[in-house]
Amino acid sequence: MALARVDRLSFRYPDAARAALEDVSLELEPGELVLCLGPSGSGKSTLLRALAGLVPHFHGGRFSGRVEVGGLDTRSTRPSELAGTVASVFQDPEDQVVLSGVEAEVAFGLENVGTTPHLIGARVREALAGVGAEHLLGRSTSTLSGGELQRVCLASAVALGPRLLLLDEPTSQLDPDGADAFLDLVQGLATAVFVAEQRPARVLDRADRVVFLEDGRIVLDARRDAAVRWLARNRPAYVGDEAPPDEEPEPGEMVCRLARVSFSYGERLAVSGAELELRRGEVVALVGPNGSGKTTLAKLATGLLEPDSGLVEPSGRAAYLSQDPGRYLVCERADDEVALGVGGDLRRARGALARMGLSAHEARHPRDLSSGERERLALACVLVTEPDLLVLDEPTRGVDPERKQALAALLRREAPMRATLVVTHDSAFGRAVADRTVSLGAATEAVLA
Amino acid sequence: MSPGPAAALLAALGVAALLAGRTSAVAVIVAILLAVCLRAGRRTRPYLIGIGFTSGSVFLLTPFVESVGSHVLWTGPIVPVLGALDVTREELAYGLLQALRLAAVSLAFAVYALQLDHDRLVRSARLARRSVLAVVLATRLVPTLERDAAGMLEALRGRGVRVAGARGYARLASPLLSGSLERGLNLAEAMEARGYGRAGATRAPRAPLDRLDVAALAAAVAIALAGKLWL
Repeated sequence: MALARVDRLSFRYPDAARAALEDVSLELEPGELVLCLGPSGSGKSTLLRALAGLVPHFHGGRFSGRVEVGGLDTRSTRPSELAGTVASVFQDPEDQVVLSGVEAEVAFGLENVGTTPHLIGARVREALAGVGAEHLLGRSTSTLSGGELQRVCLASAVALGPRLLLLDEPTSQLDPDGADAFLDLVQGLATAVFVAEQRPARVLDRADRVVFLEDGRIVLDARRDAAVRWLARNRPAYVGDEAPPDEEPEPGEMVCRLARVSFSYGERLAVSGAELELRRGEVVALVGPNGSGKTTLAKLATGLLEPDSGLVEPSGRAAYLSQDPGRYLVCERADDEVALGVGGDLRRARGALARMGLSAHEARHPRDLSSGERERLALACVLVTEPDLLVLDEPTRGVDPERKQALAALLRREAPMRATLVVTHDSAFGRAVADRTVSLGAATEAVLA
Repeated sequence: MSPGPAAALLAALGVAALLAGRTSAVAVIVAILLAVCLRAGRRTRPYLIGIGFTSGSVFLLTPFVESVGSHVLWTGPIVPVLGALDVTREELAYGLLQALRLAAVSLAFAVYALQLDHDRLVRSARLARRSVLAVVLATRLVPTLERDAAGMLEALRGRGVRVAGARGYARLASPLLSGSLERGLNLAEAMEARGYGRAGATRAPRAPLDRLDVAALAAAVAIALAGKLWL
């Protein structure tokens, strides 16, 4: 018998122009790992929320059809009543942490679902150990990295012993090794897992089944091997390993040089003696594990941070795209937001939006855009300034594989205009876009590869 | 000391500052709270800036909105609604008392926000646990807004936009507020998904009050009473 059943579900958010989900039917079996793919805004997160009962209870809107999880109808069962049967880990771990200590945070859900008090401590430790985060016990959540926070969120969900675990882009902030370890842990759980991902390769290797959503409809629901064949035929960007750029870059003039640069945040050394040269015409990928100092080095290169020691020699204008697209939501229209960086020039702003495929969203409030669309808006905000040095910090978070291909093509096409530094955990994207890769090790020493 | 009695002690100091009539007594309370607050290091900075600005404003503005005392130090014009803008010694003394009271209450909050273990506070709440959790979440607003503002300024610099002047910074207020509302909604959704509000919730076992906690609770009552009766 199916653990969860979605039967002809259609859903439209309040005031939305079109339905987020249309006539969706799906069954999830106990213990299976199902990967949900689809372009940004195709309804993946909404489907996850419907399975958690948050749609329609939390969001309102027009709901038709039926969703049952563990025999409970989500229309007559509130999400808080479903907790324990279902557990969710949302896209942004920072937005789901309630308490300030790791132990209390993992215990929060257990307390809510009425776990016997003297069992709570043991369940917390067991869950943290289960996701390889036992060492975080006693830490404050505000001191954790994005990857560590993601593990704590998973531990909070796993601690409930759910029959269905819902994960929305759970590896978006993890380095490749961290993502592998995280997914190994998920795969080892004795629970059904429904996971939405925009970096599909790793999950695809582990999934039992794949569901592909497009415009709110399921266009594929198949076992993994059949799904991979379908994706290769119809959506090659989701299974293709991008070839590196074939043309050799013309060596241009030096745009930025960092020599023996070191930087500390208080007592914590972030970058030590780093060397980096960036020339016009080349695209460089900066990779390394979580906490290795990539973002710090990127900010040093653009002048957002001053080094404690060493030399940063910039030449020309630099632009920096932050990891968090929420920081590019200052104005009330998307075109005004982009125009902010070019003295209000709306013509240039609309051109930049068009290059990012956002022409249809010029007049929309930036906060009404989906996470993938926000990421592209943020990119338009920095690209419009036509910098000599463009630094992009994790530009593919929440961006679907087809958009990533388009972004890689755009960066390659415009590479001769500038030096480009891409900080990324997305190794496929890094390979597709970069002429060379700079790896930061845990010791924060730059190695030219 | 457990966070519950510590919070009671801070609340009592705030209440005593509001009830006390002697400026010197309120100044002592402010000095004690400031000393405790400064132990939190650099994190105190936004709180101290805010407290300095609001308390300073109260001290400076009070003489212009009050009309008490006969020892005139400065004679100003007569303004409709406000009346005569004279500054008297009594008005300055009253302004100082009000400014110190505000500083004491704000410092008590700063110490609560910066130095108390909020998780243990939520767990130890015997009554109104939901309200305590709401207060704890609201407490996080200051550091979160500070972090968001710094991130937004950095992102603007990263695309060549300089924020200058009061008007420039004021333009960030609305997006920061929208951002915190969005964050609040996301958090509320995550809390509901984790069973918050469900009947039959339990609590992890909490440590019983020790002698120091009992002494702190007794001291809290004594301080509040002293503020009313003697200070």
